[in-house]
Amino acid sequence: MRSGGQPIPRVEERRSFLKKGLLGGLILAIGGVGFLASRRSRLAPLPPQGLRVLDPSEYAVVMAIAARMVPGGEGFPSVQEVGVGLNADGILVRTDPAAAKEVKQLLKLFENALAGFIFSARIRPFTQLPPEEQDQVLEEWQSSRLEIRRTGFTALRTLVLASYFGSPLSWPAVHYPGPPPGFHQPDAPVWRGGGEKRPDGNGVFHPEASND
Amino acid sequence: MTEGRIYTGEEVRGGQQLQCDVCVVGSGAGGSVLAHELVSRGLQVVMLEEGGYHTRREFDLQESKAFPNLYQELGNRTTDDLSVTILQGRSVGGGTTVNWCSSFRTPKRILDHWRDVHRVDGLSEDVLRPHWEAIEKRLHIAEWPEERMNRNNRVLWDGCGKLGYSRGLIPRNVNNCADLGYCGVGCPIDAKQSMLATMIPDAVEKGLTVYANASARRLRIEGRKVAAVEVDVLDAESRRSSGRTLTVRPKVAAVCGGALNSPALLLRSGLTAHGRVGKRTFLHPVVITVADFDEPVEAFSGAPQSVHSHHFIERGPEKMGFFIEVPPIHPMLGAITLSGFGIHYQRFLSRLPYVNACIALIVDGLLPGEEGGTVGLRAQGDGRLKIRYPLTEPHWEAFRTACKEMARIQFAAGAKTVVTLHSPPLLMRSVDEISKLDSAPWEKLRVRVVTAHQMGGCSMGKDPSTSVVDNRLRYHELDNLFVVDGSVFPTSLGVNPQESIFGIARWAAQHVAAAV
Repeated sequence: MRSGGQPIPRVEERRSFLKKGLLGGLILAIGGVGFLASRRSRLAPLPPQGLRVLDPSEYAVVMAIAARMVPGGEGFPSVQEVGVGLNADGILVRTDPAAAKEVKQLLKLFENALAGFIFSARIRPFTQLPPEEQDQVLEEWQSSRLEIRRTGFTALRTLVLASYFGSPLSWPAVHYPGPPPGFHQPDAPVWRGGGEKRPDGNGVFHPEASND
Repeated sequence: MTEGRIYTGEEVRGGQQLQCDVCVVGSGAGGSVLAHELVSRGLQVVMLEEGGYHTRREFDLQESKAFPNLYQELGNRTTDDLSVTILQGRSVGGGTTVNWCSSFRTPKRILDHWRDVHRVDGLSEDVLRPHWEAIEKRLHIAEWPEERMNRNNRVLWDGCGKLGYSRGLIPRNVNNCADLGYCGVGCPIDAKQSMLATMIPDAVEKGLTVYANASARRLRIEGRKVAAVEVDVLDAESRRSSGRTLTVRPKVAAVCGGALNSPALLLRSGLTAHGRVGKRTFLHPVVITVADFDEPVEAFSGAPQSVHSHHFIERGPEKMGFFIEVPPIHPMLGAITLSGFGIHYQRFLSRLPYVNACIALIVDGLLPGEEGGTVGLRAQGDGRLKIRYPLTEPHWEAFRTACKEMARIQFAAGAKTVVTLHSPPLLMRSVDEISKLDSAPWEKLRVRVVTAHQMGGCSMGKDPSTSVVDNRLRYHELDNLFVVDGSVFPTSLGVNPQESIFGIARWAAQHVAAAV
């Protein structure tokens, strides 16, 4: 993020930024400090396990987006119950660091009140908006004429939904019975060769037998 | 020959040097079949795989565990602009560990097209047939019987039947399949005849040495030869470099990393083939329609992909053809792939057991002047590739037509409603509403496009000015470098690619062996 109160670049400059990277250019272009950009996030209570990639503000944004994507009720557990923010943090730990950094920047941009003001004249950070306005912001990103915002929406949506529906806690709500029991064998032998006899199994070829 | 071994990253001490006849980079459909053929000829082979060695002991059928372990970039690989989601395997066995088992021979018209347009010589049905037959026998490839078809596939079967569209049963590589429906997250009983369960252990018994968590970073070139393969040993958990390295000095190097990673390795090694490496990348880009039924479909259960329709595979000279199949639907990938958000989205997801999905795979690379996508490198330290795939007017025409035809099929099979994966989704309540699709936003990132088939990037052909490897898959300008995987295909295939890759790898083994 740019520091120091430089003015927002002119439109032509912003366009050239947009072409440069996934989102970095856009963030640079509008990420100046000042009254709007420095408005604080409404923080969410942090998980006791602690966070490894997300900072408290980014965590709050993930939770806020998730709560609008999957509002809960009708059998769906809340995003707090599922631990969406913690799951997202776990995904980002294993994500390529350059990609994880972009996601963090994107979360900051999404939350940023100055960005909100430029895009749609809102002057409060996303986490401070009432739910109906949060939905509007999401819809604006989803259907934006600016391709870069649709890209950003896709990235955040994927992270949030993987974090929610990757959890078995979400299964009852979607009437998914879970994997059939009795097939996974957690004590199955792991054969590495090196002189050890290969255990028989479906992968071993028996020329005389043909089952399927 | 003494028995080989499968090593994982933590077993490798730093600075190790290995010598061998052939170094095979990649353990997927191409690398495994090739390595097996080479060790069967008595050659000493070292195989490198950047992914981990994950076996049925770990295959607990949970998406949240399988995607990080078994897919590139945790399942989040995409084109640079996120307009196409790329599902691609990454573990010992490569894509064969997680694919849905569909096994087709390379269509004759594609082989003819390669011969006529791309000057590929010597690759005919007659040449490949013995290789296909051997593979089909070893991997138990056979048409999945109609009586074992699950209800998700039945929708496509019935719908095509009612409309008079051609349809067929898909040959699958399975042995003692239990109809679980979890092929995409690793088969827990090794019924899937993946490379992980079959050819790799077969080859290890014959002397193959495998290094998992071993990422080939660069081919060191000296004169007209690959002198060494430089390898970073990865930490299995973080997937980042452990700081330890490995150097393999082979007589011959065979790059088998698939259509995205093989071009990237060549580019990192300074091999561009005059700008042709990483060009003509084809993806069989996929659009999806989802149908809601009164009766349960349970698309998460049963052999996931057993019916195909190639009714629209040829649609005239100006248009891209497509073929239709179905995907399994599990909660995580399903929720991400469906479009929309909020209470309506949530309600739709609660219908999960009642929905069917159809996928249309667009056949790319056959139109005159069609160049497909590109693979390039990003800045140092960024582990991702630069992947671009422009969606052109013929793509959008094919996507629109395919969605209409799939909706027709789904309604013919009894669907109550059909939705597209537009963002937000477009809902059709009857066949009369299919015309809504004409005015839908057919624009990137306004409709979900995915791919599970990556091809091209190191095209084969006689002419060095239009191809990367020659008719024996040898890199034109080097004596001991081969590329043996789906990246050598000059176009896409119009069928699921694994058996085409098996076949060409088994055929290419003689040429690789002859270069030792």
